[in-house]
Amino acid sequence: MDKHQLPDLIINGVSGGAGGTYNNVNMDGVGKVVGPIVARMFKGNGHMNLNDDLAAEEAECNGVIKVMGNLSFCTLKVDGVLNVGKSFRGESCTLNGMVSIKGDCELEDFVGEGSFNVGGLLSAGHVDFKLQSQAKANEIGVESLVIRQVNNGFWSKMFSGIIPKLRPELCARTIEGDFIDVEYTTADIIRGNIVIIGPGCTLGQVEYREQITVHPEAKVGKVEKVGE
Amino acid sequence: MEDDLISKKQLLDLTGISYGQLYRWKRKQLIPEEWFIRKSTFTGQETFFPKEMILSRIHNIVNMKDGLSLDEMADKLSDKASFEKVSITAKEIVERNIVSTTTLRKFGESLGDENKYTFEGLVHLFAVDRLLSAGEMSMEEAELLFRTLQEKVSRLENGSWELFFVRKMGVSSFILAQAPAELWFDEGVRLVSKMTYADLIEQLKGKLAYKLVE
Repeated sequence: MDKHQLPDLIINGVSGGAGGTYNNVNMDGVGKVVGPIVARMFKGNGHMNLNDDLAAEEAECNGVIKVMGNLSFCTLKVDGVLNVGKSFRGESCTLNGMVSIKGDCELEDFVGEGSFNVGGLLSAGHVDFKLQSQAKANEIGVESLVIRQVNNGFWSKMFSGIIPKLRPELCARTIEGDFIDVEYTTADIIRGNIVIIGPGCTLGQVEYREQITVHPEAKVGKVEKVGE
Repeated sequence: MEDDLISKKQLLDLTGISYGQLYRWKRKQLIPEEWFIRKSTFTGQETFFPKEMILSRIHNIVNMKDGLSLDEMADKLSDKASFEKVSITAKEIVERNIVSTTTLRKFGESLGDENKYTFEGLVHLFAVDRLLSAGEMSMEEAELLFRTLQEKVSRLENGSWELFFVRKMGVSSFILAQAPAELWFDEGVRLVSKMTYADLIEQLKGKLAYKLVE
């Protein structure tokens, strides 16, 4: 079947739709879709609720999107809040806001600002993330990981003191990778080839193979060189 | 069971690959999800792998890496069909040291045409050769095993089997079971060796990978 013969799904205002294979899916307003969607291009603005899987070559989400099933894509841009019920798979993801994934997350490039919450394993080629509030992952396995805290103003500093969820930090159980450069991170164990630990880290154990740098303001339990 | 598993840290030390490569290969489905076995240890949770399978798979990946892209490789490795089409000559077997000459000379003929061994036939030959060269089996027993494999394997439903080689009071016997199987023996029985079909083909794939790259 030729791609251009596929129908489009367009939702404006408050409405619903059915799943299926589409060329373009455009949703503005409040929409609900029942059944899995396969689309070449997915665009959601507003409040979307998909109760099954979504597979799209290109996806753009602005607003609040909830996907109950698996989300797979080639490129994804998120401005706002994205909730995924199962796994999250794709090539590259640019995030500006919040993403929360119940299952595993597999990406090649993950760039963004805001926060993420991964229930399973966050496996990625390159992660470059600026934290604005608390980010969580059970396990992280990457080639390179760079975590930075956004320079925040007076008010956010004040709020983060009161509400722990707003404190920009990364919590993970284990972090494994070739190149790890983190700050404001809490983890049980970090294992990597080159490890750079910035300020504000609280780590149980660090295992490295080649090189390590520890900021004087970081709390690290045990540092161990492994291999060779 | 403990001996069959290898921890992630040991694996990286042994093979010289990095965490990044391991996760990348997993993402590309070069290493199946089921091989990641999570267990709790005193340092928290650790990931373990089935030792023989993961070692030969990594060996395969490293050797094939230069000729193929990761996606192509994933197709080839997961696809048993591409190996089943492979046929190999007796000369190649000896040159590549897949099966020892003794085994080949003894059992080669019964597999049919000397210049066209099938993958399935080679698996049987390989299984016999492994036990023989480990010195765990005599020549007569080898014959019995080879005959059993040739006759009985085709009757197993999904083609995946496990082989138990046991001895009791000097009498040896082979037990062929549908995988995954767990057998319990009485005290007098000594389990000399256990082989699984999955292990065997994984190792054979490594030795035959060059055929696919050509």
